[in-house]
Amino acid sequence: MTVTDNTTNRLDSLGASGDGPSFAILDEESKREIRRALLQAVAVPGYQVPFGSREMPVARGWGSGGLQVTLAIVGPDDTVKIIDQGDDEGVNAVNLRRLVVSSTGIPETTEAREASIIQSRHRIPEDELTATQTLVLQVPVPEPLRGIERDVRELARMHAEADYSRMWVSLYEDKVRNGVITQSTGYPCLVNGRYVVATTPIPRWDIPRLHMSQFLTLFGAGREKRVYAIPPHTIVEPLTFDDVPFEVERIEGAACRLCGSTDSFLVDSSGDVDSWACSDTAWCRARRSQG
Amino acid sequence: MRGPSPIPTPDPVLTVNGLGKIYGRDDAGTIDRTGSDAGSARDPITGAIVAAWDVNFEVAAGEAIGIVGESGSGKSTVLRCIAGDLEATSGDVRLSTHMEGRSNVLLADPATRRRMRIDQLSVVYQDPSEGLALSVTAGGNIADPLTAAGVRSFAKIRERASELLSRTEVPLNRMDDIVRNFSGGMRQRVQIARALANKPRILLLDEPTTGLDASVAAGVLDLIRGLLEELDLAAVVVSHDFSVIEMLTNRCIVMHHGRVVESALTDQLLEDPHHPYSQRLVSAARA
Amino acid sequence: MTVEQAVASAAPVREEDGLILDVRELTKEFVLHNIDGRSVSGLSGVSFRLSAGEHIALAGTSGAGKSSLLRAIYRTYKPTTGNIFFTLEDGNTIDLVGLSDQEVTMLRGRQIGYVSQFLRAQPRRSALDLVTRAGVYRGMGRDEARDMAATSLRRLNIGEHLWDVHVSVLSGGEKQRVNLAAGLMSPPRLLLLDEPVSALDPENRESAIDLIAELSQSGVAVLAVFHDLDAISRLATRIIVLEKGTVTRSGPTDHILPSLTVGDVQP
Repeated sequence: MTVTDNTTNRLDSLGASGDGPSFAILDEESKREIRRALLQAVAVPGYQVPFGSREMPVARGWGSGGLQVTLAIVGPDDTVKIIDQGDDEGVNAVNLRRLVVSSTGIPETTEAREASIIQSRHRIPEDELTATQTLVLQVPVPEPLRGIERDVRELARMHAEADYSRMWVSLYEDKVRNGVITQSTGYPCLVNGRYVVATTPIPRWDIPRLHMSQFLTLFGAGREKRVYAIPPHTIVEPLTFDDVPFEVERIEGAACRLCGSTDSFLVDSSGDVDSWACSDTAWCRARRSQG
Repeated sequence: MRGPSPIPTPDPVLTVNGLGKIYGRDDAGTIDRTGSDAGSARDPITGAIVAAWDVNFEVAAGEAIGIVGESGSGKSTVLRCIAGDLEATSGDVRLSTHMEGRSNVLLADPATRRRMRIDQLSVVYQDPSEGLALSVTAGGNIADPLTAAGVRSFAKIRERASELLSRTEVPLNRMDDIVRNFSGGMRQRVQIARALANKPRILLLDEPTTGLDASVAAGVLDLIRGLLEELDLAAVVVSHDFSVIEMLTNRCIVMHHGRVVESALTDQLLEDPHHPYSQRLVSAARA
Repeated sequence: MTVEQAVASAAPVREEDGLILDVRELTKEFVLHNIDGRSVSGLSGVSFRLSAGEHIALAGTSGAGKSSLLRAIYRTYKPTTGNIFFTLEDGNTIDLVGLSDQEVTMLRGRQIGYVSQFLRAQPRRSALDLVTRAGVYRGMGRDEARDMAATSLRRLNIGEHLWDVHVSVLSGGEKQRVNLAAGLMSPPRLLLLDEPVSALDPENRESAIDLIAELSQSGVAVLAVFHDLDAISRLATRIIVLEKGTVTRSGPTDHILPSLTVGDVQP
């Protein structure tokens, strides 16, 4: 079953619900509006679609955008996994998950393979995601040119005319000043050869996963009121010069102190020097339980 | 319309016909009520300002034409209309580099005109900060047009930037300094280097040395003159200063209150000006 | 008059005669708008002919119109009335009066050369550069022009140590010789000389005069202003005497020269 079929079925199965508290907090009108924005986003990969961001029981800047996307697409047959910094048990992830589950009654999981919707800030799970899964990323700053231009009309023009020369100059300056392009999270990528997007705040490590993926990725920014999408099988190229290779984070000789992995995204663990652990806690746990 | 001349002259790269710019509300009598003879560019009845009207000239490769006049003459207005910085009220401007001169660029949409500024037509402004990003390095300012033209190799960008800075006599050890830290004369040289990045055929210069100290200006003028010859550019030089016009151009037009009052070979204008205003201007310059 | 009309009304091209310049009733009046609009006459009804290999010297007191005539032919002055018929390299004749600025530009430096005592506006050029440029402008390739420039400068005794020096630091005489070298690159059909040797010391003057004589021998038509009876006697085939902008006398050198005094050629 393709993602399109899946989405269509999901939409079809959601009727206008009648009385009582809404399924998934949002009323049907709101959901329809957000879904329309999402369809536009999928139709024009990388293009930031404005939408009417609602007041959520989560402060702006804490995932309200991602939450609205999830709530707009969730249906009774979904299973949701929500992580923050790769960890299901982060305070924020727990809060968001509770909101989704309590307003929908759908099951939750920490296993990426079992979830149909994965909402995340800052990571893509290490597991291979499939065509039946949707990744929803929380984005604080959807505008990749944010540090470079303030005027909104000029920003709109730059995207409209694919005039990204200021971005290139900024990469040039970075390389000149630092010897390498130093941008770590939120690395700007060219999607479908047309729009430059902010991949905030996932690390470089996760960026190659977006390229020609099997799964759909939706980005939601509540405070900035934008959604955008990277559909499956879309070309995603991190912006870099032809002769300056894009490199993911790698620490020489580092391994997870819990599961021993050298091939997953590692973060500082327990504050000790040279002590690393997998960022994706569920994946790490699963690895360990397999012995 | 003349028949074919026994003296073949090269085809123009830039052709300007009937260029005009009016601010405010004009009516049928505005043009007659303004201009050199009227003594003002402002229409006393409607208040409209005819900043430029009925300007015509052409420039071939390797030629530089001057537009000379005092401030308020309309000369910078003409330059900015050709560049696309200002929207002209009327006129037909053709570039041999754009659809082989078959299309009036004034009718092209803003995005198309911006693209022309990448590799067909460049502008050097009187104030270098208008043509440069001050918080970016000298090399970075040159990287801008290069990447806009699709160059994606860091090494090539560095190489071309070095080449240009070297040609404009900017010390290479300053390539990675931000332009804000450069003197006025150096900033102007970086602006020129940037303007030439993608080898445009047409170069517009608006008072390129005004505001610079005399000795600094002399060096920049010398540089410009050398570049014009070497690169076979079609250039338009706007200046109120006859010594600049004399050094850089071989033909020029004189503007007064928005109108062209005389069009001549530069040396002829300086030694045998015809229009009363030209005569005043030349004798004042000689004084 | 249009170019076509001018060509049609021109004297028939007489290739055998090698007629290069045919000036008819050339008149130049200056209207001084900023004084009181008065007219000042510079030239009045000047007529003469110049053929290939001929050297006409213009004589007359200061203000007689000698330089004005050269300037009017070169189009630094725009003639008021009259015709200046010029035979092009391809044999066609055109009237320089009425040519467009672009057409004049094409002729200048290629078919019509001009050397004056004043170097125009190029102080920060090196001598070799300046002369090379003149050659390039005349249509030579850069390397060829450079070689010829070197030869030219040598002939005018400008030492190699001066070639890369900015012209502004040269002496008056050196400047004049550089100017001459530039003007003599790739000889034009018509050469206009305005006191080209006045600032030269005797030895350099000799070289310059020899060079100019050679040009005439190779077929260049020369119209010159010299303040030097000796130079005139050695170079000129004919002399035209101007007074207050009109031609008072003209004829072969040996006819006119005896009656000329130093006062007649005073700068």
